Amino acid sequence: MQEEELQKTEKKSAYELFFDIPVGPQHPALKEPAFFKFRVEGERVVGVDVDVSYNHRGIERALEDRNYIQNIYLIERICGICNVAHTLCYAQAVEQLHGKEIPPRANYIRLMMEELARIHSHMLWLGVAAHEIGFDTLFMYVWRDREVVMDLIEMLTGNRVTTAVNTIGGVRRDVSNEAKDKVKKGMNVLEERLKYYRKVALNDPTVNARCSGVGILKPKDAIRLCAVGPTLRASGVKNDVRKDDPYTLHDEVPFNVITFDTMDVFARVLVRIDETLESVNMVRYCLDHMPNGDVRIKLPLSPPVGEAISRVEAPRGELIHYARSNGTKNPERYKVRTPTFENLPSVSEMLTSKSDYEVNIADIPIILASIDPCFSCTARMEFRDVSKGKTWIWSLKELKAHCSKSRR
Amino acid sequence: MLKEIQKSLFKKKATVLYPFKERERVHIPEGFRGKIVFDRDKCTGCLLCARFCPSGACEIVTDEKGKRPIFHLELCLFCSQCQEVCPKGAINLTKEFELAAFDRKAFTIR
Amino acid sequence: MDFLLELLQILVFPGILFAIGLAFVYEWLDRKIYARLQNRVGPLYTGPSGILQPFADFIKLLAKEDVVPNEVDKPLFNALPIFALTLSLTGFLALPITGLRGVISFNGDLIFLITLMTLICIVIMYSGISSANRFSTVGAERAALQLLGYEIPMMLSAISIGILASSMWVYDIVSIQANGGWFLIGPGILGFAIFVLCGQAELERIPFDIPEAETEIVAGWLTEFSGRKLALFRLTKNVELLYLSGLVVALFLGGPSGPVMPGLEFILYPLYFLLKTLFVLFLLTTLRALFARLRIDQMVNFSWKYLVPLAILQVLIVRLVV
Repeated sequence: MQEEELQKTEKKSAYELFFDIPVGPQHPALKEPAFFKFRVEGERVVGVDVDVSYNHRGIERALEDRNYIQNIYLIERICGICNVAHTLCYAQAVEQLHGKEIPPRANYIRLMMEELARIHSHMLWLGVAAHEIGFDTLFMYVWRDREVVMDLIEMLTGNRVTTAVNTIGGVRRDVSNEAKDKVKKGMNVLEERLKYYRKVALNDPTVNARCSGVGILKPKDAIRLCAVGPTLRASGVKNDVRKDDPYTLHDEVPFNVITFDTMDVFARVLVRIDETLESVNMVRYCLDHMPNGDVRIKLPLSPPVGEAISRVEAPRGELIHYARSNGTKNPERYKVRTPTFENLPSVSEMLTSKSDYEVNIADIPIILASIDPCFSCTARMEFRDVSKGKTWIWSLKELKAHCSKSRR
Repeated sequence: MLKEIQKSLFKKKATVLYPFKERERVHIPEGFRGKIVFDRDKCTGCLLCARFCPSGACEIVTDEKGKRPIFHLELCLFCSQCQEVCPKGAINLTKEFELAAFDRKAFTIR
Repeated sequence: MDFLLELLQILVFPGILFAIGLAFVYEWLDRKIYARLQNRVGPLYTGPSGILQPFADFIKLLAKEDVVPNEVDKPLFNALPIFALTLSLTGFLALPITGLRGVISFNGDLIFLITLMTLICIVIMYSGISSANRFSTVGAERAALQLLGYEIPMMLSAISIGILASSMWVYDIVSIQANGGWFLIGPGILGFAIFVLCGQAELERIPFDIPEAETEIVAGWLTEFSGRKLALFRLTKNVELLYLSGLVVALFLGGPSGPVMPGLEFILYPLYFLLKTLFVLFLLTTLRALFARLRIDQMVNFSWKYLVPLAILQVLIVRLVV
């Protein structure tokens, strides 16, 4: 909600006892560069104002200064947790510019890494969500079991988080047979644990009390506000880039798109747990059906002139990369659309009380967490006055006002 | 949940008491991307490493043998791109990961 | 001599010094058990197995800068931590530890003990409001609401014990149990469950740590307190934990009584007290590890829908037994 709308709600309460509660950038529930201002009446949230422009990193500009190989590692650092999705998307875009197909074994490895990263990301999220509702024991258990998949990723790629496994023309590392066995064993452990957590989420009375009926996002609103990923699927909309626009081998590897129709935080928890179970099966399928052969083709550094768009279902939702090449070794323009930015309108919708549904202060952290926010990619506009050393941010309104002033 | 809690009371602790005890429980797999080791004799000075280094950790200096790279670990991302492009295999990433030091010189690999 | 002895009892054993020392040990145990339940290690490096960690934390906080914001109600803000600690220590003095009688003991002291806990909660409420901080205000509001939720069932289950013993004197309650068996094994079991749950709410621990819910309102009513004041509040919470488990022991587990050899009472009684409070502490910690935090409306709902009727049922059962 914009500032002016917040002003409107100022004196509508029967008690006229509104006050604002700031959440973020320094708040235990939101240790991210974003600021949410909540207008509350007692425990009830009546309005919310979102400001995400705290940390502009200028990555898109920086990408234009580096060559295509260097950019892999910069792209990877847009978001630590979805790094595989980002590099996959980038590599696909550049391969599209080249107009080349990569070997099938590379595709299998890419898909497997993507799903391993999804398992890792969703388990991380489950722990964070448990922490947000004060369930620290579940948090500790989930993160302990997440170590299984972290170790597998480390074994396969040489690093726990920033895997750097996708490259232009394939993948950088092959999967050996003993690694395959280890991954299979790890998948068995994970499947058992995930089924257990599913049981906990379904049966634990306090988890149910905190998650059911909280943070409701109706399918109509979800589509209107362009929600993506698990947030959208938890609202009962069957939408998954992996099914709708299959990339790598998603048309070949069988999986189900998980949806839930309860539309609340509880649905988001279950969607993520079930998706992780699907991912476990997909990793198994990849291991069993992986053909032999090369994992990489050599491509020249500079792609021909052209444009490319690639889409990937990152753990947080649909990720879109756009690349334009002018034939040199640096991209001319690169644009990244990240899922969290798309989900922010829906989160402010979820956080506003309506006639049939109330938001409490206590629900704020879990609703915020329910979109799996990753604010590292959301800052948009900033002005810098070098002479005064001052930095400030303008909203659209201020920008328009400034323009009209200068026109006069 | 109660059962799980009771079980973990008697289970082995998940925490690794890493810096002082139980160092052996820290398992570093083969192919880990850690500290860079540079074999100066193999290097031919093709400068590909500097060209592809994403973070500028690879600096080119001129000495008696010609242009040679030095690596600044404090800037390094450990992406092993230099290892990949090196035609002579002069650059290797080892399993060593404890890279903290009091002296900046320790971060410079020649 | 009597006066000196009494002073010694109040100040050293089983009084203030003992209480504070034990409170630190109990915090350590609480953290350690909690960590083990979560498959972690807990405090480790300060002292053997980290036993000195709570003490080290306390010293560290004492040495830290004590910030008093401009907007706070200064006299209240400065005095409240001391009030809170005094209240919880006073409560501890009334617990039977070395004998069947506490240092302070008079007819009707059960009411006094329960009221002390309410007073601590009121101090918490005031400290939230006097902080003039948004998070603190919400925390204070929640503390008050929570008090409405848990106090009545707690009171009722304590009173049911009073009815069982036909006395509101802790000394009577303990000595009846010393002769005739614990109230826990028998008519008091429901009351025990209610009392422990409400105690968890009184201590503001998961699932009832709503007034200081970390992820929601930073530290709730504690947000503005720092340095010495925070140290005192933390100590208060620890002493309160000890005090509450001591009260549960006195009411349901027969206080410090147990099989004793004549002449060794002064060692064995405190030992029994420690063992029994440890059992209660273990229960409280397990509860803390078992649940997610409830929302304030859910907590009040739960308490009025289930705890209050059950507490009334407990009183009825007791009435039938007596």
